[in-house]
Amino acid sequence: MADAKTDLKNYTSDFIKSDTDKAVFLGNPLLDDMMTALINLGAETWANRRRVKIIEMLFEKNGKISRDMVEAYMPTPDEEKKLVGERDEFIRTAFGHFARGAADIVALSSVNPTSKK
Amino acid sequence: MTMLNRRTLFASTMAVATAAKEAVLGRSAEAALPKDVEPRGTVGRLERLPRLDLESQHDFITGFRQFVNVDMNRAAEARMNAILKVNGVDPANDPPVEKVLELTANDPVIANSARSWLSAQQLSWKTLRNEFHGNADAYLAEMDAADKVGPGTLELNPDLKLPDYTRHEIHIQPGGYVGDPFAGHSYLYGTNNFYTGRNNQDELHIALANALPLPADGKVLRILEQGTSCGQLAVALKQRFPNAEVWGIDCGAPMVRFAHMRAADLGVEVHFAQRLAEDSKFPDNHFDIITNNIMFHEVSPEGTHAVLKESLRTLRPGGVYFPIDFYTGSPPPKTAFGKFRSWWDSRWNGEVWRLTYAAFDFKGAMKQAGFDVNENGPSARPGAKANILGTKRA
Repeated sequence: MADAKTDLKNYTSDFIKSDTDKAVFLGNPLLDDMMTALINLGAETWANRRRVKIIEMLFEKNGKISRDMVEAYMPTPDEEKKLVGERDEFIRTAFGHFARGAADIVALSSVNPTSKK
Repeated sequence: MTMLNRRTLFASTMAVATAAKEAVLGRSAEAALPKDVEPRGTVGRLERLPRLDLESQHDFITGFRQFVNVDMNRAAEARMNAILKVNGVDPANDPPVEKVLELTANDPVIANSARSWLSAQQLSWKTLRNEFHGNADAYLAEMDAADKVGPGTLELNPDLKLPDYTRHEIHIQPGGYVGDPFAGHSYLYGTNNFYTGRNNQDELHIALANALPLPADGKVLRILEQGTSCGQLAVALKQRFPNAEVWGIDCGAPMVRFAHMRAADLGVEVHFAQRLAEDSKFPDNHFDIITNNIMFHEVSPEGTHAVLKESLRTLRPGGVYFPIDFYTGSPPPKTAFGKFRSWWDSRWNGEVWRLTYAAFDFKGAMKQAGFDVNENGPSARPGAKANILGTKRA
């Protein structure tokens, strides 16, 4: 058994840092950062929307609610299923353009896969 | 800190909800930690993420990963195949990854699928890190108190000399397994997200535990899981073999601290220790079964040889060695996109040893270590028809 210690450095060791934070995939670091920001905003937007949905569920059930009730609320399996469906619809609405079929992309992209490299 | 106050406020309502779910999902009603931090209660084995917004962010990331894995990757793969074909390369016939990268790596559709997956992965770690580091005092106090309670035991070895291969930020998890005091916390919720919700109740680990073959004589008194991380498989093994002594070892102290805390909270007696799989300190011929799950693809070739040698030493004659990993039951990918994804995972998702592992003669190494090897052991990973099985000659 270990003795109790309460500082953040306890039980940790030096590690080898990844360089992934520096990765550029889209040819311009600003484009990478914009994509990242978009995804992060998606998460924030969904968090807000899900909170509103839960508030509405609680209102419907109880008529009055508190912040703690919202924070602790556990959706029923049916409610969870509905929320997941709405989440996926939200993702497709917001990000569906990024999954266009190859044929659509060929027409819209500056890179033409039919030309040899 | 508001989190603990909320916990107090929620206590009465959460207790009712939790008790009902425990009855259904098997969490031990008796198990409790001295300073348990679970402000939003539990669902079966899982402590809910401590804030609604964090839970919702991770819900989004789960859905977004599915979108990338299916929709965006389908478009990226179609695009990759089209580019390769027009350049005379058959994408289905094991093309060299260097050629695939040369022709396609800068394509915007392919690049954006990679960018999107990676940004979601980074967001997952970042939000978890913010939570656990932002409330460090409470979470550290919880672990400090849990270190000393049972069931099960915890052994930490602060002076353990860690091989370099253990010190990488695998999965780009900040600090890796050894450098962040909340590595175990982050790993559990990060991998729950990675599995897109399919393992929130340890379903995958329970299936692996149930797939484990027994020694021919049926005797199972001691079991070891190497590279136990959060201890999910070790817990599932103890539940399958309640009379066996089950050990989980890992190089990372934060991992075994969390594993022990979680197992104790679940009321499952597992012994966790910060030890190296290649230098486990157990006696000769000690274990009836030794296993590990998705460990070897994170180990260097030298480390793998050393782990196999140590495994043979500590396994008793007639005992079973059952390593479970990407290619212990199925071959590495041969398609262009599969090979690209493996390369990409290695290069950008911190899976430093993945390609080395894919090229490694694992069966040969097991034989070299002295195991009798059967490549047609029982299937373990989803989709695999078999899994490699080692036995120590009686």
